[in-house]
Amino acid sequence: MVFSSLLFLFGFLPIVLLLYYCSPRRIRNVILLITSLFFYAWGEPVYIVIMLFSTLTDYRFGLLLSRPSMPDRQRKWVVAFSIFVNISLLGFFKYADFLIGNINAVLGTDIPLTNLPLPIGISFYTFQSMSYIIDIYRGTAKAQRSWLDFATFVALFPQLVAGPIVHYSTVSEQIRHRTVSVELFAQGVRRFTIGLAKKVLLANNIGFLWTTISASDIQTLPAATAWLGIIAFAFQIYFDFSGYSDMAIGLGLMFGFRFNENFNSPYMAQSITDFWRRWHISLSSWFRDYVYIPLGGNRRGSWLQFRNILVVWLLTGIWHGASWNFLLWGLYFGILLIIEKWIGLRFLQRLPKWMRHVYAGILVLFGWVLFAFEQLTDVTAYLQAMVGGNGGPLWNQDSVYLLYTNAVLLVILTIACKPAKLRLQQARPILQLCGYGALWFMSIAYLVDATFNPFLYFRF
Amino acid sequence: MNKRADRFLVVGFLTILFSLLALFIILPSRTFSDTENRKLHQLPQMTWDKIWSKTFSSQAETYFTDQFPYRESWVWAKSILEQSRLQQENNGIYRGKDGYLLEKFGEPDKEKLQQYAGAIKEFSEKNPDAAMTFLLAPTSIGIYAERLPWMANSYPQSKVNSYIGGILGESLTYIDGFDFLTPAASKEIYYRTDHHWTTYGAYLAYRAYCERMGWEPLSKDDFDVKTVSDSFLGSYHTRGQFFGVQPDTIQAYVPKNLVPVQMTIVDTGEVSSSLYKPEFLLKKDKYSYFLGGVHALVTIKSQVDATQKKMDKLLVIKDSYAHSVIPFLAQNVSQIDVIDIRYYNGSISEYMKANGIKNVLLLFNTTTFVNGNEILKLKY
Repeated sequence: MVFSSLLFLFGFLPIVLLLYYCSPRRIRNVILLITSLFFYAWGEPVYIVIMLFSTLTDYRFGLLLSRPSMPDRQRKWVVAFSIFVNISLLGFFKYADFLIGNINAVLGTDIPLTNLPLPIGISFYTFQSMSYIIDIYRGTAKAQRSWLDFATFVALFPQLVAGPIVHYSTVSEQIRHRTVSVELFAQGVRRFTIGLAKKVLLANNIGFLWTTISASDIQTLPAATAWLGIIAFAFQIYFDFSGYSDMAIGLGLMFGFRFNENFNSPYMAQSITDFWRRWHISLSSWFRDYVYIPLGGNRRGSWLQFRNILVVWLLTGIWHGASWNFLLWGLYFGILLIIEKWIGLRFLQRLPKWMRHVYAGILVLFGWVLFAFEQLTDVTAYLQAMVGGNGGPLWNQDSVYLLYTNAVLLVILTIACKPAKLRLQQARPILQLCGYGALWFMSIAYLVDATFNPFLYFRF
Repeated sequence: MNKRADRFLVVGFLTILFSLLALFIILPSRTFSDTENRKLHQLPQMTWDKIWSKTFSSQAETYFTDQFPYRESWVWAKSILEQSRLQQENNGIYRGKDGYLLEKFGEPDKEKLQQYAGAIKEFSEKNPDAAMTFLLAPTSIGIYAERLPWMANSYPQSKVNSYIGGILGESLTYIDGFDFLTPAASKEIYYRTDHHWTTYGAYLAYRAYCERMGWEPLSKDDFDVKTVSDSFLGSYHTRGQFFGVQPDTIQAYVPKNLVPVQMTIVDTGEVSSSLYKPEFLLKKDKYSYFLGGVHALVTIKSQVDATQKKMDKLLVIKDSYAHSVIPFLAQNVSQIDVIDIRYYNGSISEYMKANGIKNVLLLFNTTTFVNGNEILKLKY
């Protein structure tokens, strides 16, 4: 079940809200845990065992770490073992087939693939569990005494499937003591509505443009269409992901949780360094806190810093998917960041602001080409099309058609990339009601239409 | 001020959520959707097997969306929103010029085309004593490309048709629909709102077939042309859901020299004395007026008098484009067996042997032909 499905919106969500707010405070965490497990089991009836296993082990490790008598050496071993368990789970389900495929290709062996589907949310909850253990080790958080409360933190359905990756220290207080108020709930409604509209109205519709273009023959794609396509992809992935994060944050607020922000208008970035401060913040800060800084960060001289940047960005790349193109995508940004640290930023500051936007925008777009295609041959063909190197025309009839039939949407998307000063929030109550109501109305219409499936050959 | 807005929003939000949930529970479950022309999903049964394999959850989600309150109105609202943002297409249907709705047609996979055409070739070689004809008719976008929205582009179906012709070579008689439809393009040969050709388009196909067989076709004057419906909103309309579309008219060509016929729908055992089913004209699916819609196997016997009779037995292997052509053929052929290859699961070669069939007409439109690998069933 995803948030942007009718069954979630008009089945699961109202029932959970009803159960939650009708029950006494002390059992609300139980309600949240049970409904979250139901939410997970709905899509993964078998793999729920893995999630519960991961939760249980890290809960035990957490308790172990909080024993005051334990010497530091042993504590290190506990942390290492916990990380080993989580990485093994993630590695087995996410990267085993990629590894086997490459070994087979290089050594000519014939090891069979596991062909296991990826358990939903595993990339997110393993990271959350690890943050818990490390935070306890460092003393920035206290171990959770109650398994129930810890399981609620991991399984909490708003952030279980696609983040934001909540650091344990952010919500450790809220698990026990959270306030609910009309203001907070209304804020959640606003946030959720915006997220839903971003996903259903913006991301899905511009996604059709990208699907159309990426499905056509890349070898002969005119440059204009190629640029239009990758811009469409950039919009799609941003509004899809940030829409989902908004929905998660909004749902969190409805239940009294305040999650960390995940996006901060990333396409307004003025450099690549800036972009990564604004994009998928919960992941980059995870890698910053748990990999980059422990490796020494920038405190041990330029060369080690460059190494650390490369390590972090290769990991970021491969986190997004088990495929060479993601690794390459990470490497691409790692190198760009090193260049910026080294010479680029000083030079950039002398440029006018609009040029810095263009600079960051173009580099991010090229990055999306690496991200969008799993086959490296497709990547090169697409890049060639973008620079007009495939011998085709710069534009054709299709480019014009695709542009004008999506022009209105593209304008809306561009405006929506700017940080909204939440004008709607200060508007008159009646205006707000109409505005958010209209977003709901349109989102439902598009959601229902997506399931519209006329049967054309008339037989039953 | 802000507090009031907060309360408004929370109440509004909860109202939307709970009222739609309540409506879903209160409104009776519908079994059939007229607009979508299909059965709607019902509450699935819960079994452990289904839960483990996730079929329960996916069926439950389809059930919920199929039974969503006021489903059709939401779909219609989406179509209005799409059109207001200058989008010229909806659900794969273009809103073309002169009130024509046209179905998108992309470049087909050459390998598949080779397979499909190969299957036909093989079929013809496997049955050397049968005379075979293959008529491949374009759909409206093939003929009316100039009616596409501004700057919209479509892969030319004429290329597909000649490519297929090239593969088939001399293995059987091939009639490319473009040859007889292009000269008549200024007339109404296709419905504006449906994927079929009009009765006039079907008549042209009949004439082209007769000419190729060396027969004298009945002329248009041999028929009384009657309008049987003027409120036909076809499948393109259903899919595109555009507003302000004019309905089509359906015509019947009633022969002046009426021939008694007997049509047997073998699937159901139903026998009737007409090739038309007027009851469908009152329903949504009005094209089923011809032959009563799609069936796996239909046999038609007509008492053709000696002056008009050209052939004893003909097997037609087809998609629904043939439905409006067959009444014309029944004027010249005394027995026509009609097989819809998408639903007939026996061996067609066996069927021909068992029934002593020496003449075959394969009739498909380019879109069905390109998209359906059912044609590979000819190999059995």
